[in-house]
Amino acid sequence: MFNRTTATTEGRFGAWRRLSTAAVIGAAAIALAGCTTVSPSVEGASGGSGGSDCGSAETQAAITAAVAGRTIKIGYTPPILSEFYTQVEKSAHNRMQQLEECYGIKWEWSRQGALNDAHSGVEAVGIVENFISNGFDAVFVCSAAPHATMQEIYAQGSAEGVDFYQFNSTEELENPSQADDPTGGLHTISNIGYDDRWQSGYIAGQYLAKLLKGEGQIVQILGPSGSDWTKLRQQGFEAAIAEFPGMQIVGSADGGYVRDKGLTAAQDLLTKFPEISAIYGENEDMALGASQAIDLAGLKHWDGSEGIITIGADGLISGMDSIREGQLTATVDVNSVQMGITMIDTLFQHEVLGMSVAQFIRIPTTVVDKANVDWAEGLIADAMAGPGSY
Amino acid sequence: MSDRHSGRMNGHAIVHRILIDPTLGVLALLVIFAVGAAILLPVFYAGNNLLNLVGSSITVMILAIGVTVVLISGGIDLSVGAVMALSAGAAATSMRLGLPVFAAFGAAILVGILAGVVNGLLVTRVGLPDFIATLATLGFASGVLYIWTQGVPIIGYMTPEFRLVGGLQPVFGQVTLPMIIALALALIVGWVLSSTSLGTRYFAVGSNPVAARQSGIRVRWVKTQAYMLSGTCAAIAGIILAGRNNNVPADLGTGYEIQAISAAIIGGASLMGGRGRVLGAVLGAITLALAINIINLVGVPSSFQKIVIGAILLLAVFANFVSDRVRSAALRRRATHFSSNVA
Repeated sequence: MFNRTTATTEGRFGAWRRLSTAAVIGAAAIALAGCTTVSPSVEGASGGSGGSDCGSAETQAAITAAVAGRTIKIGYTPPILSEFYTQVEKSAHNRMQQLEECYGIKWEWSRQGALNDAHSGVEAVGIVENFISNGFDAVFVCSAAPHATMQEIYAQGSAEGVDFYQFNSTEELENPSQADDPTGGLHTISNIGYDDRWQSGYIAGQYLAKLLKGEGQIVQILGPSGSDWTKLRQQGFEAAIAEFPGMQIVGSADGGYVRDKGLTAAQDLLTKFPEISAIYGENEDMALGASQAIDLAGLKHWDGSEGIITIGADGLISGMDSIREGQLTATVDVNSVQMGITMIDTLFQHEVLGMSVAQFIRIPTTVVDKANVDWAEGLIADAMAGPGSY
Repeated sequence: MSDRHSGRMNGHAIVHRILIDPTLGVLALLVIFAVGAAILLPVFYAGNNLLNLVGSSITVMILAIGVTVVLISGGIDLSVGAVMALSAGAAATSMRLGLPVFAAFGAAILVGILAGVVNGLLVTRVGLPDFIATLATLGFASGVLYIWTQGVPIIGYMTPEFRLVGGLQPVFGQVTLPMIIALALALIVGWVLSSTSLGTRYFAVGSNPVAARQSGIRVRWVKTQAYMLSGTCAAIAGIILAGRNNNVPADLGTGYEIQAISAAIIGGASLMGGRGRVLGAVLGAITLALAINIINLVGVPSSFQKIVIGAILLLAVFANFVSDRVRSAALRRRATHFSSNVA
């Protein structure tokens, strides 16, 4: 079993080793998928001051010359300062430190997330405008603000020399097409994330169908109405369930993406539908709230053959113990670690090496349950124990 | 004849008394909801639904009790959600540091009282408007929790005592400790407001601070006490929510201030000060929870939730408006009667 404390006490080098392995696995997966996100030699980097981890001495010297001691000023705008976005940020910081140690690039990092209403996106607009007026080189944005509003701001910022990268965003909702336009109609350099429909909602539904052998009643606990993440994950989940005539989504309620509301919503749904087989929480906190509702109602959690299944989505380190203990059956890990690494790799490739990068970069996601929770938790724990700090 | 006349007078007095009661609106709404649910939604009374409903309203209820006292004294407290979250963080962190459970709860209460003192000083000494002062405290408290947690929820603090305080384990039957705490708090604060000189001072300061000052009431101190009481309520709510949630995320308190103020207003408290009842705050919180419960049970799309809550708020405010008009008319009649007698 993976021991979180041991990972921390092993210190930086142990963490680096695992993180590098994760990076290699992720990089290989992306390369295999035909994406062009892996910078030369970066995939092998594992920290330290130069050496073979940074590529051969000649390559390292050449890239260092390209960097020319440059400092890149980055703005980081998550929709809210939460555990998930902290995992993404920490992973990005680890990668930045690797690149700094290898090639001498310097970084300035500013994080600014919404403090009040993450789902309106109003605060994000002001934050991004502030980054533009303060002359940042690049801005990573994940926002619930309207698509058109953000694209307008990106267009203005781009004219002033700021490059925009969206992460964990929901561009798939707009059905962007690159058939006639290489940018897909966007004013971003790249969009790094996963498809909420097919890489989150859909695989959660498939997982449930597999456990329930295509038979059973399900309730959904959704995020706030109007949220793009909610719409897309629900769309994918319902598409998966529709493939199984013996499965039905009998009810849904708003859990507001938070545990307390998820608990209340699950209690109400269990009152109305006491015979359900599974609860789909569209994020992990709501699924954990649903798990508590099962306990409070004196019902049984899924034990591999019977009980109520609870599945969420995010991949938070705080939820991994619940999976191990059977309180949460599974979660869709949308790969915060790989997201952070890919964000920095993409930026480095474009800003420093002048590479053309893909407008849409999809990172791998996976369903985590008792069978694979050890390595899934290990990758996140190692990233969180990594030395990167900006 | 005289009996019939006095009976009619008594009936009239009762109707009149009901009409001027600040909890009229929320009581009417609760009756309508309960009757409607009984007719249209048999599952409403199934299983533990009613107890679940009360359990889910406790946090907002306790916050609303504190907010009601602040509203009565002529202020407004926008910081309750953030202070609640910060107090929850203090309790959870203390537990993780190995402090005894009562020391952890004491730390949380201390945070709440300190936040109340800061609010009180900003309003009464610095002279900031209540809205601005408590908004600043909201920002400060939520910022401190973000920096403290680095955005990562505090976990690993749960003990059997915390489960009990969080209501995850009933005390007897289906009754949980948060229900008992909320009841005790409502009785104590209700008694303070209705039967003590301190309660009278809250109403006096909220109704007319100038007159209160001229009557020898220390207005600044009374207002500060109101904020301290609200901070204490926020801390108690924070301890309960930390127990119920099993974790303390940095954004734990987001939106709770609006729910608490809504519950207080629905319960008959006035934003103009000098009016409000603890019973109203309790019923207001239950009404909000009831509305969400019915929405979930009926299966109404969640997008309607905000509309329903907005409508409830409007109805309650309308009922309060009616009550105000009736009270003003009664006062005018009494004044006219008095002056004609003098003449």
